Amino acid sequence: MINLVQNEIMKLLAKKRLLVIAVIVAILVGLFTYAQMKSVETQREKLGTSDWRASLQQQIIDTQNRLGSSRLSDEWREQLQISMKQQQYYLDNNINPSEPGAPTFVRMFIENSSDLFIPLLVLVIASDMVSSEHALGSVKLLLTRPVKRGKILLSKYIALILAVSAIVAMTALISYFLSGLIFGYKGLNAPILTGFTVENGNLDTSEVRLVSQWKFLLMDLGLVWFVAMVVATLSFMVSVLVRSTAAGMGIMLAALVSGAVLANMVSSWTSAKYLFMINLKLTGYLNGIAPPIEGMTLLSSISVLLAWWAAALFVAFFAFIRKDVF
Amino acid sequence: MNRKSVVSFTVFSALLTLILIFSLSWALYDYYRAAPQPIKASDTETAVQTRENEAMTIIALGDSLTRGTGDETGRGYVGIVSEQLKRDSDKQVIIHNIGINGQRSAQLKEQVKKQEIQRQIGMADAVLITIGGNDLFQGGQTLMNIDPKEIEKAQNIYSANIQSIFETVRSINSEAAIYLIGLYNPFIELEDSELTTRAVTEWNQRSAELSSEFPRTIFVPTFDLFQLNVNDYLFSDKFHPNRDGYKMIADRVAALLSRQEGVK
Repeated sequence: MINLVQNEIMKLLAKKRLLVIAVIVAILVGLFTYAQMKSVETQREKLGTSDWRASLQQQIIDTQNRLGSSRLSDEWREQLQISMKQQQYYLDNNINPSEPGAPTFVRMFIENSSDLFIPLLVLVIASDMVSSEHALGSVKLLLTRPVKRGKILLSKYIALILAVSAIVAMTALISYFLSGLIFGYKGLNAPILTGFTVENGNLDTSEVRLVSQWKFLLMDLGLVWFVAMVVATLSFMVSVLVRSTAAGMGIMLAALVSGAVLANMVSSWTSAKYLFMINLKLTGYLNGIAPPIEGMTLLSSISVLLAWWAAALFVAFFAFIRKDVF
Repeated sequence: MNRKSVVSFTVFSALLTLILIFSLSWALYDYYRAAPQPIKASDTETAVQTRENEAMTIIALGDSLTRGTGDETGRGYVGIVSEQLKRDSDKQVIIHNIGINGQRSAQLKEQVKKQEIQRQIGMADAVLITIGGNDLFQGGQTLMNIDPKEIEKAQNIYSANIQSIFETVRSINSEAAIYLIGLYNPFIELEDSELTTRAVTEWNQRSAELSSEFPRTIFVPTFDLFQLNVNDYLFSDKFHPNRDGYKMIADRVAALLSRQEGVK
């Protein structure tokens, strides 16, 4: 079994996909670091000071003014109100929500990429895990070995798990080291507030507590890894079912993008919360961001994702074992 | 592809997987089981209350006029004042614009009690305030139905609020000059203009009297600026100033401010 897994890892490394992913991440991080630096600069010029309290206060005032406008949708208004109350809470407790430094950048980057960017990176590896064997014709060779088909698929799946972990860790490390060049590496112990809960459009601060930024980052990464695993498993299943890698990738892409779009407009279609792509933003729960559909919780999202995970795994193995290969 | 790198990748990412699974369970545990802890003051850094000597710090409080509503360039009188000061002085100018559209004196009274706002007031060399327009005009309602009794009532509430605002600001910062910008009459060319003009002048008179009761508190009139050809200086909503209107207010305020600072 170990040999089979190593065989798969060897194929994976030979394709140099991980390297491509690293380069993509590095370029994007470079872009975002530059953008962030510019926005900090303009902010400082506008206010004439680099005091974070002043700029946070300014953000709150800006939000208050936007709330006064009558052309706001109810959902957007609610979101704004929640984030404003949260900012006020940070201000009242004298905690900087975005302590300058690489750790804060990584946190923002990971949180914002958890529902689309990291799943996309995972797709690059996962979507041709099985179908590429068809394309190359090597599947026949593989299946003629005196090993059970289930074992072959399992070895592929284990290789995939390892690759997903590597991608998540790589993204975090690259963004840490690259952004640190500009922002500095301090801030790992900066306090972060967590435990905000959103209920009926109101921000509940009774459960709030302080967490060091590095702990918070680890928790974020754990959740992002879980999301990446679910997406990887689903596209693994698709790559078993669909022979063409391009078609499989298209299917998964459509699902992911539709999730990003739907999340902004499903608040009244409550049964959409059973779709996996609506549940990908797990990190939002730690930050107290209102979920796309009222009533969604961290536990419900994880359960939905687990159900999809299990179903995808079952379908993948069932189909692969019974499939006619020609 | 050599075997060594394959093995090391496998071991390394297996380790990462374990760490990530641990993080995931930790996140779930922390989210659901960790007890809330009250935040101690020692956990957070304390705000520094130092005034920067090299810079001139201005805090602008109030309503849409402070915000700059109606100015197509978005600067408002506060923005124009800060540009003029920056141009005429070698000092650094720090401006905190805390204006909120539609704010009334009662809301401003609450706003100046907030911790961060108080910190900023404490650091300021000058406090600019525009308030009262929404108290008096109530979004145009007063105009529809001019009832002297209602205006009288609004004025009493306003006076009490502005008194409290002055007291709060003074208790935090005894040195900063406070500039209360007066009201103009945007309806001066409409019918019933005698009535609205009388209401505005009485209102301004009360503001001026209140200002004179506090040290270093200056009432800045704007009524005269908008008395003639008012429509040239109003935005299309016929209520807020346009860019030229804001420019007139800003010129007056900037002149007073630069005198305070001894610029030129």
